[in-house]
Amino acid sequence: MPDKPLLEIRDLHVGYGKKPILRGASYDVMPGECLTLLGANGSGKSTSLNAVCGFVRPSSGSVMFDGTETAGLPPHRIFAHGIAQVSQARDLFPDLSVEDNLRLGAMRRGGRELSQTLEGIYARFPRLKERRRQPTRTLSGGEQQMVAIGRALMSRPRLLLLDEPSGGLSPQFCEEIAQIIDALKLEGVTMLMVEQNLNLAFRAADRFIVLRDGQVVDGGDVRAMAGDHDAIVRNIYL
Amino acid sequence: MLMQLTLGGLSQGMIYALVALSLTVVYRSTTVVNFGHGDFVMAGAFLSYVLVVLAGIAFLPAAALAMIAMFALGVLFNRGLIRPVKGGPHIGLALMCIAAGYLLRGIARMVWGREVLPMPPAFDMEPIFIGNLVITGDAVFIIGTVLVLLLVFFGLLALTDLGKMVQAVYQSPRGARLIGLNVERFDDFAWGVGAALGALGGILVAPVSLLHPDLGASFLIKGFAAMTLGGFGSLGGAVLGGVLLGIAEQYAGAYIDSALIEITAYLVIVLVLFIRPQGLFGRKAVVKV
Repeated sequence: MPDKPLLEIRDLHVGYGKKPILRGASYDVMPGECLTLLGANGSGKSTSLNAVCGFVRPSSGSVMFDGTETAGLPPHRIFAHGIAQVSQARDLFPDLSVEDNLRLGAMRRGGRELSQTLEGIYARFPRLKERRRQPTRTLSGGEQQMVAIGRALMSRPRLLLLDEPSGGLSPQFCEEIAQIIDALKLEGVTMLMVEQNLNLAFRAADRFIVLRDGQVVDGGDVRAMAGDHDAIVRNIYL
Repeated sequence: MLMQLTLGGLSQGMIYALVALSLTVVYRSTTVVNFGHGDFVMAGAFLSYVLVVLAGIAFLPAAALAMIAMFALGVLFNRGLIRPVKGGPHIGLALMCIAAGYLLRGIARMVWGREVLPMPPAFDMEPIFIGNLVITGDAVFIIGTVLVLLLVFFGLLALTDLGKMVQAVYQSPRGARLIGLNVERFDDFAWGVGAALGALGGILVAPVSLLHPDLGASFLIKGFAAMTLGGFGSLGGAVLGGVLLGIAEQYAGAYIDSALIEITAYLVIVLVLFIRPQGLFGRKAVVKV
């Protein structure tokens, strides 16, 4: 049933030291959709992603993933439930080859269909196949981002978290990212995305949520807002 | 003469290589330089002494038992003492290591005082003569054991999935978490392996030297010198640095002055830091982004 959320976040509070970042945020991610989080710096977007995948421990509140409470679990346990993140810094293994980076993405899943999944990633990113023996530190920023996305996809996640997928990349590559997201949606991958580039955010996402001071202040269907980005921008920054 | 010195240096250098490698294993996984590592080496030597001399176990099983015990000690050390202070300042980690080292040393002193203990020879074998080169059983055993171990270690690291995962944790702990690895467990494993490998250094030198509770201190310095020479943090560099240091000690002692043997390690540290601070295999200050 599509009306049951895959991810339910309720009254989530997260702080670093004494500084609260998320202050009672609540929102849902529906199966198969791409939800994008908008908001000014420090509004709690990346913190949301890090709380969902266990990198920060919420001080209170609930994160239900497909009926399981995951708030407070360590990252490797949450990962095992099928949540993978493509982080802003990408966090690749710089001295390992492209292929090793990708294969490592599937380590926790067990090896049987590994080579099949790997071929799938290479079909999606032919450039990575050409460079599969190169250490990832020798790749361009865009190629590294492909490795980061590919590595996350190797685990066949049910929920993919994308933190600034266009960060520092060329406009041309933004379109490539948008196409990747479209393709993933067709395959039924659910995505929760943080993206500063509003063009990409509205081009790729189905729904958006605006965070301000750690709370959800607005949200809606991206299509309903078509052509009215100004209103949203005002809402985010003013 | 030159060959004989080289062989002696190689045999000694293999031990340094082992100590430097085990220090690096821990350093790379937790970014902690284990200042108590010399005492892990000492503990390995004394454990094998206790098992061989007091419990009457044969050398090889005793060595295996001692390494297993030291693996466990390394894991416990990380879990009990290092992990709880890990978020704090780095100096706390260093002091914790020093404290643990002195604790081990204190235990050894309490039991043996300032006695110097001889360990029965373990590798009784007729020396091999090649021309005027004498190859002792000790040298064969030490060099052979460490070589096999190094092959296994680097083979596992480079060729197996487990080794790739260890490299992943080394290169980006956050990235390792992103692919679902339990980084804390890998850290435990690194401390266990580091302690066991360091202990093996002590176990291997025990039959060819005298045991005393303070023997670890000099191994720690040799380990640091080897790491500095090879490139601090480089696994291969640690091994090469150890071997080169062992040989350099012998050459300096024979051709210049025998007093130099003891201070070669310090000279190496000073010279490397002046001339090539990143060492032979180190990369210039990598800024982690």
